[in-house]
Order: sequence, then C-alpha cells, then structure tokens
Amino acid sequence: MANKTKTVAEIVRTIPDGSHIAMGGFAIARNAIVVVHELIRQQKTNLTLSQGVAGLDVDLLVGAGLVSHLIIGGGSLDRFGPNNCVNRARETGSVVSHDYTSLSICFRYLAGALGLSFMPIKSLLASEVLERLETGTAAEDLRRMKCPFTGEEYLLLRSLTPDVSFVHVQVADREGNCQINGPRWENEEQAKAAKRLIVITEELVPTEYIQRSPERTVIPAHRVEAVIHQPFGAHPTAVYGCYDYDADHLKLYVDHSRNPERFKEYIGTYVLGSGDHWEYLEKVGGLAYLEDLRAERLLGY
Amino acid sequence: MTAEIHATEIMAAAGARELRDNEVVVVGLGLPQVAAVLAKRTHAPGLTTLLEIGVMNMNPKDTPVGLADSRIFYHATTWSGFLDVMGMNLHRGIVDVGFLGALELDRFGNINTTLLKEKSQKVRYVNGSAGGNDVASLAKRVIVIMRHEKRKLPAAVAHLTSPGFVNGRSRSELGLRGGGTHRVITNMAILGFDPETHSAALLSVHPGVSVEEVVENTGFALRIPKQLPLTQLPSKEELRLLREEIDPKHIYLGS
Repeated sequence: MANKTKTVAEIVRTIPDGSHIAMGGFAIARNAIVVVHELIRQQKTNLTLSQGVAGLDVDLLVGAGLVSHLIIGGGSLDRFGPNNCVNRARETGSVVSHDYTSLSICFRYLAGALGLSFMPIKSLLASEVLERLETGTAAEDLRRMKCPFTGEEYLLLRSLTPDVSFVHVQVADREGNCQINGPRWENEEQAKAAKRLIVITEELVPTEYIQRSPERTVIPAHRVEAVIHQPFGAHPTAVYGCYDYDADHLKLYVDHSRNPERFKEYIGTYVLGSGDHWEYLEKVGGLAYLEDLRAERLLGY
Repeated sequence: MTAEIHATEIMAAAGARELRDNEVVVVGLGLPQVAAVLAKRTHAPGLTTLLEIGVMNMNPKDTPVGLADSRIFYHATTWSGFLDVMGMNLHRGIVDVGFLGALELDRFGNINTTLLKEKSQKVRYVNGSAGGNDVASLAKRVIVIMRHEKRKLPAAVAHLTSPGFVNGRSRSELGLRGGGTHRVITNMAILGFDPETHSAALLSVHPGVSVEEVVENTGFALRIPKQLPLTQLPSKEELRLLREEIDPKHIYLGS
C-alpha cells in the first residue's frame, strides 16, 4: 500500500505561482488553514482561488496578497463578520472577482468532475450577478441556450477544473481514503474536478478502520495525490466531531482584518512568525487552550 | 416572562406562520432559522427543513452563529451537500419555500446581498449571493425577513443579487421556474406582492405601528388596502419556545 503522507511544506513547494487552487472550506468550517499559512510563508503569487462559500482560508490568502482572481459563490465568517480582506480587494480592484452562487459553483465543479465541458442551470438568470459576469472577463465561461428538447432557456456554465484542490477531512488513511463527518457542501464535486487532489486530515487511521464503514468514504485513495496529517490543522475554524471554531481567535482576526496595517500585524505574528503549524498552535494558546475547543462526543462541537 | 414583546419575536412568529405543515423549506441565516424551528415545534411538525451546506431537519440544542456552525448540524436526519440540497431538491423543483434575509429589497421583491452604494457612490461589498440567488430563482415561494428602514427598502436595489419580479415582469417572462418573492416580514409590517402588477402591497402592520410610520420608512410606494389588519402577535407558547428553547441567549431575537 502506498504511503502518500507528505509535509505541508513539501506539497506547497510543488504549487507553481499562477495556479488555480480550489479551497475546501465553508465560512468558518473545515478550512485548510495549515495549507493557507504555508502558501503565505512561501509567498506564492498570482493565484486564482475558487470555492463555493468563501471563508477564512480565502480571506487570509487575499489579504496576504497572493491572489489575483477569485471564482466564488459568496462568503463570510458567519456572525463573526464579513470577509474584510476579500471585500476590500474587490473595492480597490486588486483582485478580479467572478461572483457566482453556491449552486452554480457546485455545478461548475460537477461538470469538471463528470468530464463534461459545461453544465446547464436555471438560477442566476435575470440577476445582476449574471449581468456582471456576462459583461466582464467571466463572459467566456457563460453561454445561453434553449434546450433542444423543450425550448426552455438555460444558462450554460463552463466546467471548473482547478489545478489543485485542498480538502480538510476528519479521517484518512495513509493511502488517501477519506471520511468526512458532518455535511460536505461541495467538497466531493470540487475534489473530483481538480487535476491534483491533496487532503489534510486531523487523524491518520489504518485502512482497516476505513474498511469498517466504507460507505462513509467520500474521497477514495486512487484520486488522492498526497495526505497531510495535521491535528488542529483547520484552527480557528471548526472541524465537526473534532473541535469547535475558536470564537476568541476569530474575533481577534476580524478585529485585525478590518484594517490593512493591523492585518499585516496578524500575518506577521501568527503566520510568518510561526515556522510551522505546531508553532502557530503554541502561539494561539497551546495544548491546554486547544483542549477547551475539543468537541464533546455527543454534540460534535 | 416579560409582557413586552420584541419586534423580532413578532417577525419570527409571523415567519413561522407562513410555513405550512409538510412543506419543504430551505432556510437562510438568522431569523429564518429561528422561524422555521418555531414552526416545526408548533403547527408544522411535518416540515422538512434544508440548509444549503447539506443538512436536513436540524434540531439544534444550542443556538448556532451561522450556517457553518456545527451547532446547526445537531440531530439532523441527513448530512449531504450542495448538490443534494441545492441541486436535487431546490433545482429539482420540490422546495416550497425559500426563507431569506436581505440587505436591501425593492418594490418588485428583488433582493440585494452583494453591496451597498454610499452617497459618494463608493461601493461597499458584503457577503454576495451564496445560495440566495439560487433559492430566489427556484423556490416555489420566497419569504424575506428583514429590518424595515427606508434605505433598506429602496425603489431599486443597488445590486440585484436575487430576482423577484424584475421590472414588474412575471417569473415566466424572466425565464425563472420559482414563484418569486411572496412575503416580506419586517419589524413593522408584512408585505406581499400584487398578482397583476407584481409590486409591493401592505398586508398587515404590527400592533403599535401606524401606517404612516410604515410609509415613512419605505422607499417605494406601497399599495395599502382600506381595511388593514394587525399582524397576529406570538402566542404565550410561541414566546416561551422562542425565549427559553430556540434562542435563549437572544443571539437573533435581540434583548
């Protein structure tokens, strides 16, 4: 059996500048923060990011200046606040943002995952969301067509096939069989649309554990290039069944992200000031602090 | 229990009453969640509640801070994803009600959740669509819960994120399958839409609110019927559920 475990630094070194990276988080849930921090440490540039509902992962990468294009359905940090860095980048025009919807992003990934070049959809029509896309640089990714069978008008979405997708999961074996606990938003479509798929797991388990409940395997090993093992790898976002979001740290983040100078301080202290994710975890409070975030078995948070 | 009833409690109860037993509803962030849970625990035990993230029939024990909060995954009957909830349910056409919030809403029920324009024309971006446009396009009827302020109810939204009856046109003319905006529940009143003109009409005002106040705080002309009913107040049991079980920390209901 292949052992595909790699360090995050090794993997990030293989990501060229200008890549299209799909991030598997949703708002403040299961964000691959360990990868985000390493992308910032290695100072990647000119990235295109795609995601259904953008969260802290995308906000950090945009704020740190790594991103030139966004393809997203929307996003926020739930009640902790908006994605201030993303919104600021839109306002200043430092990032070209193609703003879709949750379902249209999912359908674009689904087309990619099915090996189709496009997917018809019945939302977006008659909206300014579509008008903006059709009159901007996204026009190349959209067409309108009448159904050859019924005559109904459809919007056609070009498939999305990211260069690499990073999905954060609760459990994986060394070969890459992944089990996701809780809802999965567009994880499966995104992961299977990507040319390369890297998973980050909270826990490494023997394959025999996977074999006990194979119906829970959302991403099978043969699709996975590498497995990064990092407990608390999504901190301060939540991983269902493992730990809750860190409300205090998210508040601290939003407090910094409101202002570009303060955001730089945040990056300096927590990301560039930490050699790796273990150092970051020490910096945010260490084992005793993180223990308080650990999920209660019956609640999952 | 205090005698004073908060406007958000009236909104939550009014929202709950718009839902019928055995319907399928896609629920958005905030008060819609609260209203759907209230409906399910009162007159609509057979309600199926869906969250875009991929959760069905959530039964939260602790109040969640949003749709990505594990608290809202608690005791659900299904965990899946966008493709299931937004694709094979919403896009499939079986969702009766889409329950949304709005930053701005105009006279034709068009919704903005993307950006605001300041007086200087400077644009301030906010969250964007997420599932909002999909729900507004595809649900059989859409219910919006929002604060009643003149700037939030303009003649035309600053950005048409999610379509109602765009330019007063019918949904079939717009090429949309869903029925469009059906009710707008605010802290002052309940609005509906004229079946012919598709423009907003006042359906009821909350007790203690005058028609003049509603008109003053609305940025577009409202059709006002001669006999205007008062919005029904939440019952004692509804208030108890809201205050003690559904949102005891007043995260959504205010204090």
